[in-house]
Amino acid sequence: MNCIKEYVYRWFKNYETNNHQLNYLFWECTTRCNLSCLHCGCDYSGDAPIPDMPLSDFLGALDTIPFPAKNFTVVLTGGEPLLRYDLEKCGREIRRRGMRWGLATNGYLYTPKRHNALLNAGLGALTISLDGLELSHNWLRNTSTGFQKVDKAIDLAANTPRLNFDVITCVNQHNIKELDAIYSYLKAKNVKSWKLSTIIPLGRAKDNTELLLWDFQFEDLLDFIKNKRKLKELDVKYSCEGYVGRYETTVRDGYFFCRAGINIASILNDGSISACPNIDRTFSQGNIYSDNFYEIWQTKFEPFRNRIWTKKGQCEGCPDYKNCQGSGMHLWQGEKKNVLVCHAGKLDITR
Amino acid sequence: MKKKLFHWIFRWLSLTSNMFVFQACFGTPQDFENDIYLTGVVTSSKSGEPVKRIKVLLGKTCQYQFTDSLGRFNMYVPEQGDYNLRIAGVDPINNGYFITRDTSLVNANDAIHVDITL
Repeated sequence: MNCIKEYVYRWFKNYETNNHQLNYLFWECTTRCNLSCLHCGCDYSGDAPIPDMPLSDFLGALDTIPFPAKNFTVVLTGGEPLLRYDLEKCGREIRRRGMRWGLATNGYLYTPKRHNALLNAGLGALTISLDGLELSHNWLRNTSTGFQKVDKAIDLAANTPRLNFDVITCVNQHNIKELDAIYSYLKAKNVKSWKLSTIIPLGRAKDNTELLLWDFQFEDLLDFIKNKRKLKELDVKYSCEGYVGRYETTVRDGYFFCRAGINIASILNDGSISACPNIDRTFSQGNIYSDNFYEIWQTKFEPFRNRIWTKKGQCEGCPDYKNCQGSGMHLWQGEKKNVLVCHAGKLDITR
Repeated sequence: MKKKLFHWIFRWLSLTSNMFVFQACFGTPQDFENDIYLTGVVTSSKSGEPVKRIKVLLGKTCQYQFTDSLGRFNMYVPEQGDYNLRIAGVDPINNGYFITRDTSLVNANDAIHVDITL
């Protein structure tokens, strides 16, 4: 039965790839950030050298989309998007075009006043980062007051039924042992959805072993997610950051499918057009300051839509390749000779 | 229609109901909720002039907005059919004294515009 399901899913992925309907657009609306998190892959700072992209420039790119998909969503990200004072105006302009919008934030500046203003501007989806209970969250976020702030932000968001809200946690050596406690905390806070991810060895995380999990801990994490999902109390899931072999369908709602460049695009702060913002910037397909955004979406993105080039390094000769297809696109960095992390491979080692 | 049928067949064959709802690794969930765009103008019954800094509160939610210099407010609110609005004067120094008033909008759909006189 599983073989049939996998076969059907592969067929479906091909269909989606050929169709490549744009459903999800990240806008890296700033590279400024108010925190200096230990795991950040971006090395952003409060005084980033590139100024924020003017709203009118982004809207110009957005307006090249002739018929946005019904579920088309713009996700504002950064840096920290709440540092932009015109965020509400951005949201209203997106809604005026019949599109939906969401926000991914560290929650530090998410105050009741801002929450209200964002709702008024049509905010429909929100993701807040929580990386543990007080000590572990503050450690990773490199701040002494981060947890206190994010706790209040979660209260606001979780008690607003209008919002499609979830919490994301980057699992590391400091919080892996408190997953049960975080689960109870989120349940008590009325949070409905919790996404867990691991940290890949990039940016500031590259040389920090406290951030990375051992292979057996990674398996513990997937077991934790699998068991909590059975309880159906909270929508717990592993993020789509990589193919997880025998854990597929037990830790997520469906099979692994990296939709970067297939249904997901991004406009980065310097105008670059790519897929998810955490993907190696050399994958950039164009720039809104010199190209028509939608034309690029329709005619480029070849490395995302035909991933046969990923069949090298560890992936070459891998029996799972047909289901994994080189895992997540963000795992191909630098010279792209090999996948940065093979999640399924970690599990095979622990068997 | 053809696309809907195709999606339905895939859902059935693969036994996964969430194939068409997805979320990027570090992105937000998608938003499929219905809401409406509520706009209005608050004017003074005495002078007929628009009143700024009047607080317009939406029913049982925590959502509110202050009117601008032209007495206008505009906000996206969850779709719920009937709406109770509370119009409160909270800034007598800047805009004079107004008695708080409740207004109900019944079976409101899509976009609503409401003119309120205090």
